[in-house]
Amino acid sequence: MLLAHLSPLAASLFSLLAIGSLLLAFVMLGSRWLKDYLLAFTAQSWLIAILSGTVGYYGNYHELYLVAVLTALFRGLVLPYLIWRIIARLSVERELHVTLQPSSCLVLGALLVLFAFVVSNHLGNSLGLGGTVVVLALTVMLSMKLIGFLMLAVRQEAISQVLGLLVLENGIFLGSQILVPGMPLLIELVLLFDLLVIVVSFGVLVRYLVAHVGSTSSRELRRLVG
Amino acid sequence: MSVRDVLLQIAQVVTVLALSPLLQGAILQWEERIQRGRGPGIFQPYRDLRKLFLKQLVVPDTASWIFWCAPVVAFTCMMTVPILIPVLTDFPLPLSNMGDILGGGLILTLGSFAILLAGLDSGSAYGGIGASRSVMLGILAEPTLILVLVGITLLAKSMLPFVVNHLLVQQPSIYWSPAHLFLVFAFFVLLLVETDRLPIHSSTHIEVYMIEEARILEYSGPLLALLKWASMMKQFILFTIFCNVLTLPWGLSRHGTALGALAAAAGLFARMLVVALVIVFVETAQSRLRFFRYQEPLAASFMLAVLAIAANQLR
Repeated sequence: MLLAHLSPLAASLFSLLAIGSLLLAFVMLGSRWLKDYLLAFTAQSWLIAILSGTVGYYGNYHELYLVAVLTALFRGLVLPYLIWRIIARLSVERELHVTLQPSSCLVLGALLVLFAFVVSNHLGNSLGLGGTVVVLALTVMLSMKLIGFLMLAVRQEAISQVLGLLVLENGIFLGSQILVPGMPLLIELVLLFDLLVIVVSFGVLVRYLVAHVGSTSSRELRRLVG
Repeated sequence: MSVRDVLLQIAQVVTVLALSPLLQGAILQWEERIQRGRGPGIFQPYRDLRKLFLKQLVVPDTASWIFWCAPVVAFTCMMTVPILIPVLTDFPLPLSNMGDILGGGLILTLGSFAILLAGLDSGSAYGGIGASRSVMLGILAEPTLILVLVGITLLAKSMLPFVVNHLLVQQPSIYWSPAHLFLVFAFFVLLLVETDRLPIHSSTHIEVYMIEEARILEYSGPLLALLKWASMMKQFILFTIFCNVLTLPWGLSRHGTALGALAAAAGLFARMLVVALVIVFVETAQSRLRFFRYQEPLAASFMLAVLAIAANQLR
């Protein structure tokens, strides 16, 4: 694997970017305002775009520059703009009914990070990659996925749920950038368009919810509950 | 063990004793200044201490021997910790191998514990409420403290503060690594908690919310002076650890000459003023929260400490 043998500067740059995006996932977990979620997601996407640019630079993958530009454009501009439009049309500004307080969410998220840490350390040691940036990337990827699942589980607004899904996807994308940087360009493009479809269909869902239920909280969806 | 080292060790303790009221005075004055007030002079804590030492001692009828012991125990604990940490020199002095970082933390907590017992001892309502609140904060702050210490240990592969200091001075790549930066932020929140500066009560200690002050409400005269001095010393010690071990590890005396020690003391105080400026700014700029949101900054610092440990697996 190429990225197991990096110069110390590149390794610390990658680790800084990866840890920064993990920190932004925690910002989303610790806040209850929808605008904060959106800002944190945007910043995270820009960090990941910078990360794929630097991976392209240090690993000589020229198509990654294109991926970086597309990531910044789609994840950093188009998706936040679409979600911002949905938020602006709604009357909701924050999570009203929290099942888990933000501080408990933070502690739970920290425990999930520890779990991811143990798992990836184990994997890294058994593959003989212990102590490299690869293990760190694996930790960040696993913990961002777990945090995305946590957001999906404890948040009830439709916007928070779509952002939880996007964080989950950002985590996978970040991991794939460091772990398998030579992924075909076509797959990256397909992923980006998938995301666009997700957000658009969530926009439709939100409209449906507002028209038929009168609220965008999934608490109100009780038809199938016994 | 040479005479010079013993003298230097005494000088470390004397530095903490002598300069801690000055630090408190500077912080209190700046807090007023930043809110456009005039504020007391920076030597006011010295005058307060002198006034309290000259006053008469009044002891409640309900108080037992704990009431008498607690201030002395707290004061002694705060005089013990400077022996263990690098205050003036960057090399270990006699008796500084009595304990590592964890030992220093233990002695600091022992001092707070004595004051806690004293608050409960006299049986007054305020003492009880202050004691229960500070125990609640302590329970939440303790796991973070342990995690920060574990993070430092993983970073330096050692639990001695001197080793951490040398490592951070010599290797800028470790100083700027995410693991170290997260540890700094996590410890900063702990610093706010331990010096009673959480955003859940007013920055001036005159409100009903008060936590630390409520525990010592029954004290008067010289015993109160000892307690106040001990709390100022605790603040000074925590600032010292934050500066010399974590954030600004430069400017300690290498050879241990008298001039070097003096310059180190002056430099330490200047660096502390920088940290104090940040703390005053944070405390003034941050909006006050409801009391029952005290756990949010603590949860954030716990999370930062865990992230520091996760970021540490590089290398």
